[in-house]
Amino acid sequence: MNDKTMNEKMPLIQVKNLYKKFDQKDVLKNISVDINEGDVVCVIGPSGSGKSTFLRCLNRLEEPTGGHILFDGADICDPKTDIDLHRQKMGMVFQQFNLFPHMTILKNLTVAPMSLQKKSQEEAEGYAMQLLERVGLQNRAADYPSQLSGGQQQRIAIVRALCMKPEVMLFDEPTSALDPEMVGEVLNVMRDLAAQKMTMVVVTHEMGFAREVASRVMFLDDGDFLEENAPQEFFENPQNERLRSFLSKVL
Amino acid sequence: MWKSFEDAFYLNFIEDDRWKYLTNGLGVTLKITFFAVLIGILLGFTVAIVRNTYQNTGKLKVANAICSLYLTIIRGTPVVVQLMIVYFVIFGSVRIDKSITAILAFGINSGAYQAEIFRSGIQSIPRGQFEAGRSLGFSYHQTMLKIIMPQAIKNVIPTLCNEFITLLKETSVAGYIALEDLTKGGDIIRSRTYSAFMPLIAVALIYLVMVVILEKVVRLIERRLKQNER
Repeated sequence: MNDKTMNEKMPLIQVKNLYKKFDQKDVLKNISVDINEGDVVCVIGPSGSGKSTFLRCLNRLEEPTGGHILFDGADICDPKTDIDLHRQKMGMVFQQFNLFPHMTILKNLTVAPMSLQKKSQEEAEGYAMQLLERVGLQNRAADYPSQLSGGQQQRIAIVRALCMKPEVMLFDEPTSALDPEMVGEVLNVMRDLAAQKMTMVVVTHEMGFAREVASRVMFLDDGDFLEENAPQEFFENPQNERLRSFLSKVL
Repeated sequence: MWKSFEDAFYLNFIEDDRWKYLTNGLGVTLKITFFAVLIGILLGFTVAIVRNTYQNTGKLKVANAICSLYLTIIRGTPVVVQLMIVYFVIFGSVRIDKSITAILAFGINSGAYQAEIFRSGIQSIPRGQFEAGRSLGFSYHQTMLKIIMPQAIKNVIPTLCNEFITLLKETSVAGYIALEDLTKGGDIIRSRTYSAFMPLIAVALIYLVMVVILEKVVRLIERRLKQNER
């Protein structure tokens, strides 16, 4: 077996017995999941079920209490692993956008590639402008984040993560803080990404998006994945009792 | 009436070139304040970083303990007492320029207050900014340097300017170590001419004019800073 076929069989992210405890509360209970290259995984579940914690453990913004997360073959839970290096390959988009308010849009997009990947200003700006054009915001490059609407800021936040050319994108309820009429523009950008075979893990309440775009949908409740399936099966023929009651409330 | 005013003015400021007590004193006051603020910024910034790093990462435990002690002592005792301790105790047996003693004493004092200003500035930045920086791959230090600090410093500049104004007035106790600052200069005139009104009112007016001008500058800076964000 040569390296190539080995790699194709290896999942991009392997979560093994992930366990997370806040004070005395078990938030994630021995979760094991594989995420393959090109997967679009949507994680849904009631609030407080541990969805965001699960996502934030994947790039160790939240320190797991136990278990292993293998990314690119390295255990990122190992304290000896340089997590900063791995985070460069994992883009993250937050509910609150978290753009840097003291920088222009263009600077927001180029600061990380220039200082972490040693890109020249020309190269970084060129790539940033290319991506800006793709989300239709090329004319806002010189503005500051506070001059943009929420939907525009979130599209910029996605572009900021993409500028690092990540192998996987993590989305933490990217549309939950948006006015309803702005949800669509952000979901469109994400749909676009999925069409380009970007590996994505999306924590979301947008059932329509999950059904249409996801390759797998997972239901997290009380710190454990109770059901996982292809979207059609997942939504039309849910097996788990709790999932059925959850879906009946949100659909 | 006007004649007596003229006479008093002549006696207090013109005769024997007494106005020089005020101008020289003003120079000393400005010098002490300026350098004390510089020392204060250096000290305050360092202490704030140490305390914040300890709070976030648990590192620098010993340094943090020292900083806490420094803050407690400096903020818990009057500045005049600190000034006299520095002059009569610490440098008691050494010949050293009085204004340097004063600069050190006021600098150390101001550092404690500026430390709290810087720290509150750092803490005023939302946690999401830190997480966004880390998630892009920046290290703790890079995130602090590139993302948090520029925003924090911008937030505290107006408060820092106010600290500068406060310090300018506080240095008026420098006379306790016989340093001839502005206040002491006025007081010397009073002791020569036995008239208190003119020299003391003049001293008060000079402080007032400086503070009013500085406050105008602060407001200007504040407006400038806000413009960038819109």
